[in-house]
Amino acid sequence: MNEKPKTVYDDVKSNGHSRRDFLKFCSMMAAFMGIKSSGVGQVVEALETKPRIPIIWLHGQECTGCSESFIRSSHPIVADIILDKISLDYTETLMAASGHQAEASLKQTMEKYKGEYLLIVEGATTVGDGGVYCCIGGKTFENRLKEAAEGAKAIIAWGNCASAGGVQKANPNPTGAKAVHEIISGKPIINVQGCPPIAEVMAGVVVHLLVFERIPQLDAHGRPKAFYSRRVHDTCYRRPNFDAGLFVESFDDENAKRGYCLYKLGCKGPVTYNTCGVIKWNNGVSFPIQSGHPCIGCSEANFWDNGPFYQHLSQFPGFGIETTADKIGVGLGVATGVGIAAHAVTTNIRKRKLIQKSKKDDDDDS
Amino acid sequence: MEETVHKSPIKIKYIWELPVRFYHWLNALSIVVLCITGYIIGDPFAIQKGTEAYMNYWFGTVRFVHFAAGYIFFFNFVFRLYWGFVGNKYSRWYNYVPLKKAQWVEIWDVIKTDILQIKCKPIHSLGHNALADITYFFTFIAFVLQSLTGFGIYAAMSNSWFPKLFSWFVPLVGGDLAARQIHHILMWFFIIFAIIHVYLVFYHDYIERRGVTSSMIGGWKFVESEEEGEC
Amino acid sequence: MANRIVVDPITRIEGHLRVEAKIEDGKIVDAYSSGTMVRGMELILKGRDPRDAWAFTERVCGVCTTVHALASVRTVENALDIKIPPNAELIRNMMFTSQLIQDHVIHFYHLHALDWVDVVSALKADPLETSKLAQSISNWPKSSVGYFKDLQKRLTGFVNSGQLGIFANGYWGHSAYKLPAEVNLIGVAHYLEALEWQKEIIKIHTIFGGKNPHPNYLVGGVPCSINIDEANAINAERLAMVGSLFEEAKQFVEQVYIPDLMAIASFYKDWGAIGGGLSNYMSFGDLPLNGYDDVSSYKFPRGIIMNRNLNEVVDIDLSDPEQIQEYISHSWYDYSGGDEQGLHPWKGETKLNYSGPKPPYDYLNVEEKYSWMKTPRWKGNAMEVGPLARMLVGYAAGKEEFKEVVDGALKALDVPVTALFSTLGRTAARGLETKLATKWSLEFFNQLLANIKNGDSRTFTKDKWEPETWPKEAKGVGLTEAPRGALSHWIVIKDKKIENYQLVVPSTWNASPRDHKGQRSAYEESLIGTPIADPDKPLEILRTIHSFDPCIACAVH
Ligand code: HEM
Ligand code: HEM
Ligand code: NFV
Ligand code: SF4
Ligand code: SF4
Ligand code: F3S
Ligand SMILES: [Mg+2]
Repeated sequence: MNEKPKTVYDDVKSNGHSRRDFLKFCSMMAAFMGIKSSGVGQVVEALETKPRIPIIWLHGQECTGCSESFIRSSHPIVADIILDKISLDYTETLMAASGHQAEASLKQTMEKYKGEYLLIVEGATTVGDGGVYCCIGGKTFENRLKEAAEGAKAIIAWGNCASAGGVQKANPNPTGAKAVHEIISGKPIINVQGCPPIAEVMAGVVVHLLVFERIPQLDAHGRPKAFYSRRVHDTCYRRPNFDAGLFVESFDDENAKRGYCLYKLGCKGPVTYNTCGVIKWNNGVSFPIQSGHPCIGCSEANFWDNGPFYQHLSQFPGFGIETTADKIGVGLGVATGVGIAAHAVTTNIRKRKLIQKSKKDDDDDS
Repeated sequence: MEETVHKSPIKIKYIWELPVRFYHWLNALSIVVLCITGYIIGDPFAIQKGTEAYMNYWFGTVRFVHFAAGYIFFFNFVFRLYWGFVGNKYSRWYNYVPLKKAQWVEIWDVIKTDILQIKCKPIHSLGHNALADITYFFTFIAFVLQSLTGFGIYAAMSNSWFPKLFSWFVPLVGGDLAARQIHHILMWFFIIFAIIHVYLVFYHDYIERRGVTSSMIGGWKFVESEEEGEC
Repeated sequence: MANRIVVDPITRIEGHLRVEAKIEDGKIVDAYSSGTMVRGMELILKGRDPRDAWAFTERVCGVCTTVHALASVRTVENALDIKIPPNAELIRNMMFTSQLIQDHVIHFYHLHALDWVDVVSALKADPLETSKLAQSISNWPKSSVGYFKDLQKRLTGFVNSGQLGIFANGYWGHSAYKLPAEVNLIGVAHYLEALEWQKEIIKIHTIFGGKNPHPNYLVGGVPCSINIDEANAINAERLAMVGSLFEEAKQFVEQVYIPDLMAIASFYKDWGAIGGGLSNYMSFGDLPLNGYDDVSSYKFPRGIIMNRNLNEVVDIDLSDPEQIQEYISHSWYDYSGGDEQGLHPWKGETKLNYSGPKPPYDYLNVEEKYSWMKTPRWKGNAMEVGPLARMLVGYAAGKEEFKEVVDGALKALDVPVTALFSTLGRTAARGLETKLATKWSLEFFNQLLANIKNGDSRTFTKDKWEPETWPKEAKGVGLTEAPRGALSHWIVIKDKKIENYQLVVPSTWNASPRDHKGQRSAYEESLIGTPIADPDKPLEILRTIHSFDPCIACAVH
């Protein structure tokens, strides 16, 4: 089997053209792209050497739901992505080779395409107790991640686990799970949030990198703005019911059957940035809210500890479930009232004494 | 602006200038409105059933009132900050920031007198006493936080440039939910502050008879010529 | 001298699995299976709202997504004595079957097929012959000469690019590959078609649960409401979509999956005598038609088969503290009462305590503890769970539908019933139950339509939703048959919070390390005796291990 990647030059050659034709083509491209003749060499080199972009996809502390989501993509479909657009050189979920053959593929890509490959990370990285909570091929995942990040051109962190630590980072984080950006610095990291992210969003980010050859614009949490700049609430089709004050009071009540707003069932749509209401899931079929369940905020860091899910604000840390700020507020309010009443009573007693004393003083004076 | 009128044995002192009084009442009003509308936003009641969204807008209205009051509250507060640099000595900023030892001594005195009621000694400050000052200091910090969280979460739902100035604050506290949570909890701070504050104002009036209550209306306080007293 | 080989990572599975095997005279004489990643889900669940648990446990696995959510809502409902409405049961059944169908198809084509199909050999196939062959085994329309020609051209271009991506370093040309080039080409074609199709069937999850992976569940029913006169609920359009997706699934399974399975199996009949392993099989059963409490109404019957005796189905008692127990004598955990005892899941403990070699390491210390999986046992016996167990229990229970498909397949392949107890049997059973599931799906669907027509649109039971209505303490168990086998979740609720939560997962049954008595679990046992042609290329190990469809994120959690 031919080990050398086929380049644009090879393509030209195999179509029966000469090297001269190829150089002519390159200078035309260069002129087209506005590059001076001295720069033509670079273009020649780029086209001569540019293969399908190699991708290393690492799997840490994960549920593989992000991989599963990725293969649900409808545009482009995933078969086309992996056959025509990228070279998925390492992913434990789909690759044919196992064991040391798999390790060899990984090493090969890391060496051969140093500085050129895209690193995709699914899952969190455990650093607890020296990383023993996730080992692959006898090495810690932390170690593998750092090695692979070293020569990566850019890093995509899939899902909540890689972007923010995910479910294993939820309190008490028994294994010391961390997000990619907490481990790796000095490389562009794109956090494609969600648990998992929407398939077409994942494919969209890959396509963006391939076609525009630059990192998409990111928000303050490192998420691509194209998909995470709006709250679920802003594009939710139940929003008119929110503004109208029409709320579902309990699952499957009359209001639920009419599609009212799920705010009172704990919908996190107002505090969650994702494109579920626009792109929707599984090629536009539906999204959580459309199917009657409130958003649980799966594209926000820390969402696992922001629960319980069926209240719109978090429970108060250290108190029982269902203890909201309101319950505590009312409690404090009542306590204040009682305190004031007590204070008022003692004040009055004191003041009466004072009056009696001054009366007495007056009497004494006279 | 400060003047003392001699009317033995009681002096009348002009403490609160008109802008401070105006600020105070606008602030009180906006906070009451913000607490009521905010509470409703946090836990809307269910009043409608079997109706269509296009026929109603009550929740939108509540939110609109909240945001409008939020703007009033904020700019009123900004004005008060300004007045803290140009107003009379009772309204100056340094009253509120306990940097001097004397202020801490007085705080302790007031705690002993007013709250624990173990000591009877008049409090000398003519503006607020130092405990009140530090309470207001915290209140002002709460104002700042409430504005940052309020406008921070508002940034996501507004097209205006102004709230966007606050959007940096939200990721700083960990995201919209955390910001909302802080915003919601602070509401209770204001409610409880208001209860205690109003009580204390009347209490001081009752105990000291200096006209504290009405001072926020007319600006004048009554002060005995020889400041002394005993239990 | 035995030669010890290590396969780590095992790929084309879910999760982080490592196998160490001792080979003597070209055969495996001993094997060790280790799960090398843990997250501590059981610890994370403590103290949370029981109604939230489904979302956490669902994230145990995104491959068998939903089955943990299902077991979780059932365990809470069992603890709080909540009965869900019939429509909710049917919708859950449909989510179950669509999950099972999708997962099995993915497994067959994308995780298992490359153990039998040589992709590179497909380049040499004759498209005309391929087309003839394809048409002779199925009515599937995509089988013209042109279709296979185009595909072969695309494949050739891909291979010539020199960037083989996921196919790089595969075991192509290995002597254990037996298929003619034409069957290999069909295999590759359907690899790609299945990849495209699986994303369709799963839309049933999106309709009822809002998304996939990780659709939404709800304690007390399902979150979607039914209202055929409303755009915002399950209405006629949504139902029509469910109906057509199930119809298409039936077609795909009958015209692509089953014919491919039978064609490939017919070239690998020798694997009907390899990889049998344990001789005890267990199924919790599932797909109730008359409420979950009525076990006799299940489509998949509950029961146990001991010693491959297909004449008797043994009962399971879940609350008996002596029946289901988990051991940790070879697992990186501590038990407060000593590591030799077995604990019933209601009393289960999860205390992580790594004692393996410091990474990087070459070999695990298999004499001591060597895995993050606990070791579940039934009355002290190691059990195999999964599609084969389900088919055997159904077969032994004398269920007509099971007998029909099993006997049909045995006859078509011309192999004895004992061929079921093997690597091939496991892989075949998976296909056969997929066929049953496609048929049952339409029954559930039609029943749902009938209920709605009769005026019943309820999908949720409200009465025990509020924690005020709960007892101070409660215990529950939630069961299901996940694609990989018998799954159980165990909950103890105290003061409205989760006091203890234990998952005993199908892949834990199968992939666990040996127990305190040295008894191997299914993976390890099934590898014994497997021939290894080239110890450097562990293709045969992959075949048997893949026949279980490992999910290690599940197994360890
Ligand atoms: C004393 C001052 C204020 C109080 C007591 C207050 C109180 C509240 C409360 C309790 C909520 C409900 C939070 C929840 O449960 O999710 C809320 C929401 C909100 N507040 Fe305030 N607030 C105050 C000032 C402000 C200010 C200055 C702004 C700036 C515009 C603001 C903007 C908002 C916004 C945008 C929301 C969310 C509304 C929605 O998503 O529908 N608030 N407020
Ligand atoms: C019946 C209602 C109220 C009365 C009679 C009242 C009266 C007063 C008085 C007399 C002072 C000066 C206190 C002193 O000398 O120590 C004061 C200050 C203050 N009050 Fe009120 N108040 C009322 C309601 C409120 C409310 C509802 C709020 C808002 C939560 C509020 C916020 C403040 C603040 C922030 C100050 C400090 C003012 C400054 O120095 O700028 N007041 N109030
Ligand atoms: N083992 C396992 Fe699962 C399944 N099927 C779950 O219970 O795969 Ni992820
Ligand atoms: S982000 Fe969610 S779906 Fe993705 S691996 Fe983590 S738990 Fe699974
Ligand atoms: S359902 Fe959720 S996201 Fe939609 S409008 Fe209501 S609160 Fe907002
Ligand atoms: S839960 Fe997640 S999938 Fe979308 S609607 Fe909410 S962000
Ligand atoms: Mg467990």
